[in-house]
Amino acid sequence: MISLEDAARKPLPSPDADTAALWHGLRDGRLLLQHCDDCGNVQFYQQGFCRHCSGENLTHRPASGRGKVHSFSVVHRAPGPAFKGDVPYAVLLVELAEGPRMISTYTGGKPDEVTFDMDVTLVCEPVSDEIALPRFRRA
Amino acid sequence: MTKAAALAGHKNSLRGQVAIIGIGLSPVGKVPGRSPLWLAAAAAKQALADAGIQKSEIDGVLASPAMAAQFHRFSVAFSEYFGVQPTFSNTLQVSGATAATMFNIAAAAIHGGLAETVLVVGGDSLLSGLTPELALRSLTESRDQQYEMPFGIPVANTFAMTAHRHMKEFGTTPEQLAQVAVTQRQHAARTPGAQQTAPITIEEVLNSKMVTTPYRKLDCSLISDGGAAFVLTSAERAKALGIEKPIYILGGGECYTHEHIFLMPSLTTTGAVQSSGKAYAMAGYGPKDMHTAGVYDCFTGTVIMMLEDLGFCPKGEGGRFVADGQMTYGGQIPSNTHGGLLSFAHSGIPGSLFHFHEVVAQLRGECGERQVAGAELGLVHSLGAGFATNATTILGTENTL
Repeated sequence: MISLEDAARKPLPSPDADTAALWHGLRDGRLLLQHCDDCGNVQFYQQGFCRHCSGENLTHRPASGRGKVHSFSVVHRAPGPAFKGDVPYAVLLVELAEGPRMISTYTGGKPDEVTFDMDVTLVCEPVSDEIALPRFRRA
Repeated sequence: MTKAAALAGHKNSLRGQVAIIGIGLSPVGKVPGRSPLWLAAAAAKQALADAGIQKSEIDGVLASPAMAAQFHRFSVAFSEYFGVQPTFSNTLQVSGATAATMFNIAAAAIHGGLAETVLVVGGDSLLSGLTPELALRSLTESRDQQYEMPFGIPVANTFAMTAHRHMKEFGTTPEQLAQVAVTQRQHAARTPGAQQTAPITIEEVLNSKMVTTPYRKLDCSLISDGGAAFVLTSAERAKALGIEKPIYILGGGECYTHEHIFLMPSLTTTGAVQSSGKAYAMAGYGPKDMHTAGVYDCFTGTVIMMLEDLGFCPKGEGGRFVADGQMTYGGQIPSNTHGGLLSFAHSGIPGSLFHFHEVVAQLRGECGERQVAGAELGLVHSLGAGFATNATTILGTENTL
């Protein structure tokens, strides 16, 4: 069971064999998407197989960083102590120009500015020496 | 030709092969000083007494896990605590959908000869066994640690984003969301032991504190303690035991469309379409045939989307359907007549077992002043993890076989 001490810390991703390139890319300011050389599928997040054709010939290419807000929800009650200081913040479900969707948070403005289908742009925000989180600001 | 005869070709179908012969509930709501195992065992004792059988006659145990209990194998720990040594057992975990999967799997196990009499049981103490913050955090830990949780996305937020998009696409209103909470509170007021019974108005829901847009406090389900248990056996054995009103499992279906919310194929149409479609096909009945339903209600908007996906109204019409009184008495499908997770109790995964308890009680005609007159066919839909998991079970009386 989780301790109070652990609950006060924000969770950070731990890159593993499947996901290391994605997180290294973000640290360098690039959001890498996997393009399947066999079927053309573009996928987020990084994994060993194409989710469409199960092919293993996958190439990382940086995303344009452009996307639209498909849906969002402004968090007023934090999910545990670690996020209490951040409320209210807007969680975004961003649809990238390349097709895949991803979860992120709004940055560079107030959460009440966010609207459906709003154009947004990627911002890689360092949160530790190893990790930068992909956030989005108004385009 | 009867429906049963028409389905005779499906010789492997479990339609009508297995009956629920006993139901039990622990006290629910705030139950301090009682462990998840106690809550589960209290419910199990009652279910056995209801069935009129001894615990030695149980040879299978299926359980849901408990957050407030540190057992990796809750079904095994439960069996020891309860003093049984089953020859079929497992602890199932597909979040909120676990309840309906327990019935589907218990029925398949009995039909397939793995067990003769299965106890389906769950209990947890999210209100008294965990601090509120740890309870919440435990829920958020069910989200992915790489791509979701670093952004502070509570599980509520995944459901909120689906409802928000539903409002954008179909014009569903905050008032329509609120109506679900108001209706279910009216239902809970007539349910002995329900956690929240004080009447609420649409204005009160709309003025309650914002949690995560569009959901306010009264759009969200409760945090509770409580357990429920059921005894299932073959239709033949139910007859041999002389069970007065066996309730039969007529159909079951499940669907798992994604893990991460960003890979949900559509935010407004869910795997409940497939899971209920399979269950209806096996049962040989459709949504218009159902007399009552237990519809998973972690949030108000969840109910609106499910009434659509379960086929009770067309896609996009759920808000109007609810506002027209179609989910209560006199409407098309009286749903969550015990008050649901929003007002009766929500002790985590066992919460949806309460829907089963209510629908079985309705089909047995035991609901007193909240009885749906003539209820013979009922549906329970369980779901979880931001609509990642969906499971549907269709139940009926002897007349519906």
